[in-house]
Amino acid sequence: MSEEILNEAVAEAPLSQDYHDYLNEDGQIVADPRLMLGEENKPEEITTKDLLKVWFRWWWANEVPHSFDRMVAPAFTFGLMPVLKKLYKNPIMLGEAYQRHLQFFNTQAVWGGGIISGITVSLEEERAKALNEGDVDGAIDSSMIQNTKIGLMGPLAGIGDSIDSGTVQYIFIALFLGMAQEGSWLGAVLPFVCFATATFIYGFLFTKMGYTMGRRAALEIMKGGKIKSIINALGVLGLFMMGIMAAKYVTLSTPLAWEMSGKAFNLQGILDGILPGILPLCAVLGLFFFFQKQGMKVTKAMLGFTAILIVLGAIGLL
Amino acid sequence: MSVVQALLIALFVAAVESRALGYATLTMRFSPLMAGFVVGLVLGNMPLAMTTVATIQLIYMGVVAPGGAMPSEPCIASAMAVSTVIVGNLKPEAAVAIAVPVGLLGSYLYQLRFFMNTFAVTKMDACAVKADSKGLAMWIGVMPTIFSFVLFVPLMFVALYLGAPVVSGFMDTISNGPVLHVLSTVGGGLAALGIAITMHVIGNRKLLPFFFLAYFMQVFANMLNTQLTAVKGSFSVPMIFWAIIGVIIAVVYEQLTEKSAE
Repeated sequence: MSEEILNEAVAEAPLSQDYHDYLNEDGQIVADPRLMLGEENKPEEITTKDLLKVWFRWWWANEVPHSFDRMVAPAFTFGLMPVLKKLYKNPIMLGEAYQRHLQFFNTQAVWGGGIISGITVSLEEERAKALNEGDVDGAIDSSMIQNTKIGLMGPLAGIGDSIDSGTVQYIFIALFLGMAQEGSWLGAVLPFVCFATATFIYGFLFTKMGYTMGRRAALEIMKGGKIKSIINALGVLGLFMMGIMAAKYVTLSTPLAWEMSGKAFNLQGILDGILPGILPLCAVLGLFFFFQKQGMKVTKAMLGFTAILIVLGAIGLL
Repeated sequence: MSVVQALLIALFVAAVESRALGYATLTMRFSPLMAGFVVGLVLGNMPLAMTTVATIQLIYMGVVAPGGAMPSEPCIASAMAVSTVIVGNLKPEAAVAIAVPVGLLGSYLYQLRFFMNTFAVTKMDACAVKADSKGLAMWIGVMPTIFSFVLFVPLMFVALYLGAPVVSGFMDTISNGPVLHVLSTVGGGLAALGIAITMHVIGNRKLLPFFFLAYFMQVFANMLNTQLTAVKGSFSVPMIFWAIIGVIIAVVYEQLTEKSAE
């Protein structure tokens, strides 16, 4: 009974509007949800324009504030800022939300960033609306938002890195590299323009998808059959283009020639008789299986392979 | 190279390495092409810049940055190497010997940027708790950009303005017969590295037959090229033609596998 009286007394006392009164020992705000009550704290509606703003701001800030301790969390916060301001009218609630998103976060920009931005906007909106209606128990709590982000950031980054920077980018480069080789500036500008435009567009679609579907969006992306077959198709195209690139641009041949009982031999001629293009193929496959076995040890492979090439070139084997 | 030219190239590199042009900087940073384009524009020799940068691109195929750090910075490497080649009117192959070490050094600079940004993070925390949106945006977007410019502009300027002529002169004296042969061997061979990395990133060994298909189609096209070039002058199968065939194969593959999955 004494507790009830106490609760009533607290409820009637005006809530402090000074953030210092809500700090825990880590300096994090733990706001009283009642700060969200009242007509003046009613969250505004989130529009498609807001989502575009979120996506554009994240797309722009992406790796500008990159640091070892928080990675790209500040850029993620920067993206969400306009939406958080619309949802949390009370400065203490807003400060709490800013702090929440400044915690460690790292993902890939388009697949991870787009989808997770959209999902986070939908979760924050639900939370703010519930709190405003006084439904503290039904509101999504901040640790749930945090866990959703952390759970999704790794897997989506893995997909995004290998598709965007690993495949799509190099398909565009492979497509226009010939123009660069012939001295045309278009060979440099077109891969850049195509990649930037394509990723901007589908990144925004991911943001919208994340917002409308919520957490289901990520499952759809990671487990859905449609995306899987698109990834496979991109893999086919990527490997196909690499095959063309390998035969076109890897120029390993041997100048070794000798004379035997009055007859001239040259090694390259013999190799071409067995299988044309065998040397570049061996080099590419050798390195490919090195990476498959040893993992992505790029610096090691580059230094080692360069040393081999220098030696073989200097002694006249290549 | 004039002061203004060196400064313009340094500013471009800083804009890319600070990532202040947004996610669009991905291709600018991972690929040497755009840096080569800017150098060609500033130094007024686009054809040489492009043939040089195409050579460097081949060794930097497959550069991806899981977690943000890369073993090399192609943009920095390219700015320096292409400038050096143009200043000394060197052979494009010489660019490889400059790009590889410069790119490795560049990756340390990029990591230095992460440390500098840690300082901005403490300021962000201070703004966040007060819900100071303006201050927060300032320390997230503006200040790290300034840090990067302070880091990259002077270093790149000195390297280009003072370094490029020296390196260029040095390369010119050593780039005679045997050394040039070794350089072009390295350039032509290292292309295999980038292609192998890209294949590893795609990662699906079951799809390797498509690599072999394309490889031998192109080997055959190469043989045709030599024959036809002898008769008709220059001839080669345009890349867009291969890309169309690649897309068709990918679409057909996707349709067939989708059906068998059902």
